[in-house]
Amino acid sequence: MIKTIAKPMNRKVTGCGECRSTCQSACKTSCTVGNQSCERVTREEKIEKRK
Amino acid sequence: MIHIFDYQDNHYVYDTGSGALHMADRETADYLRAKEGQTVDLSALSPEKIREIEGDIASLVKEELLYKEEVKLYPPKSKYVKALCLHICHDCNLRCRYCFADEGAYHSAREMMSLDTAKRAIDFLIANSGDRKVLEVDFFGGEPLMNLSVIKETVYYAKEEAAKRGKRFLFTTTTNALLLNEETVRFLNEEMENVVLSIDGRKEVHDAVRKTVNGKGSFDAVIDKIKNFVSLRGDKHFYVRGTFTAKNLDFDKDVLFLADQGFDSISMEPVVTDIPDLQIKEGDLPAVKESYDRLCDEYLKRYAEGKGFNFFHFNVDLEGGPCLSKRVSACGAGNEYFSVTPNGDIYPCHQFAGDKDFLMGNVFEGKLDPSIRERFASSCLFTRKGCEDCFAKFICSGGCNANNYHYNRDIDVPYQMTCEMMKKRIECAMHILAQKKLGE
Repeated sequence: MIKTIAKPMNRKVTGCGECRSTCQSACKTSCTVGNQSCERVTREEKIEKRK
Repeated sequence: MIHIFDYQDNHYVYDTGSGALHMADRETADYLRAKEGQTVDLSALSPEKIREIEGDIASLVKEELLYKEEVKLYPPKSKYVKALCLHICHDCNLRCRYCFADEGAYHSAREMMSLDTAKRAIDFLIANSGDRKVLEVDFFGGEPLMNLSVIKETVYYAKEEAAKRGKRFLFTTTTNALLLNEETVRFLNEEMENVVLSIDGRKEVHDAVRKTVNGKGSFDAVIDKIKNFVSLRGDKHFYVRGTFTAKNLDFDKDVLFLADQGFDSISMEPVVTDIPDLQIKEGDLPAVKESYDRLCDEYLKRYAEGKGFNFFHFNVDLEGGPCLSKRVSACGAGNEYFSVTPNGDIYPCHQFAGDKDFLMGNVFEGKLDPSIRERFASSCLFTRKGCEDCFAKFICSGGCNANNYHYNRDIDVPYQMTCEMMKKRIECAMHILAQKKLGE
């Protein structure tokens, strides 16, 4: 048995550069890109929710 | 590539090419391990079971969720600046033993940034930001609140200048909380998108390293101030951020202590130092990993009880998260993110400040050293040594430039101690994600 727990969504955008600089997310030593969100996708989702 | 790992009685398979996480039974995990060349005894598997496993694997491969080829995309080199770390104050009212910034002074004279320099830094950022709408400024030190009036005037100036150009600023302040008072808290809550408050956890742990100028522990002076700040923060972002050292390898207790104080947004970072009794060494790794394991268990327990909290390193977004370009290009230091010292000098990031080999320019001149910028812009996941065969690469992006340089004198050579801790945290984060999903 092998069961999928999580798979990435289809990304609408790549490389737009809107994302924040990682180090300012929370800490000042251990940059972790993987726990950051895509700014553009997050914004688009918020707009979708408001509709 | 795939990464197969066990967490307690759970078996996970992470596919780096697709970014998908799967949960497997022991037989499937063993079969995949054997397929990867690991020595595993498969003699107990019946032909029927093997056919079933191979069928499952084939389905996932067809769906491009297993053994998906990795995309080797070199990120575009940004022409624009998006963020500045303003060293608003090269002085500090604490004398923390592990401070990478020489207890606030950055290996030079203790000094404050003038309003004129801060304004020129804002001008520099806006002028070099191209069509980017959202700009970031982090007020950093030393202890930035020792220069609060300049922070305030800089915020007002930046907002005014941004409005003229259809841009917006997001501000962050990192503080040791010692100078928080009613007025400061109100200002930070009104103007700061994020506030990072430094506290290391249990009183005895905090006081052992975070001392006042007079050599006393600072825990009692900050704990109530941080609690008050957090109670008034509402739903705006903050992190209480601790540092763990070789003296508190059981730092899970410190994270839980902070959670018990009512802080629900916590970060705990390994120390960056070469002070012998504080530096985390290779021999400490088993204890560090055990601490992450214990924290992971308690994190899930509290989550199940409805008492969950946010621990920065246990968040990994496998379904959303940043695009591949960001995952490959990492923090952007020296390319689109810079730090500015009190006299206006520009460095790739705060951890390079004061190192003349990395001096890139000055905000009064407005130019950046093209060779240093090119060095940082050219560095990405695919130039990092040893990352190619690591499962964590698209999550950690090859580590921190400054850490790499600090320990290996090369921004492209990751510091293995950091790598080991990062990989452990990612496995914990994946286990947490899976357990949360299964509980839904």
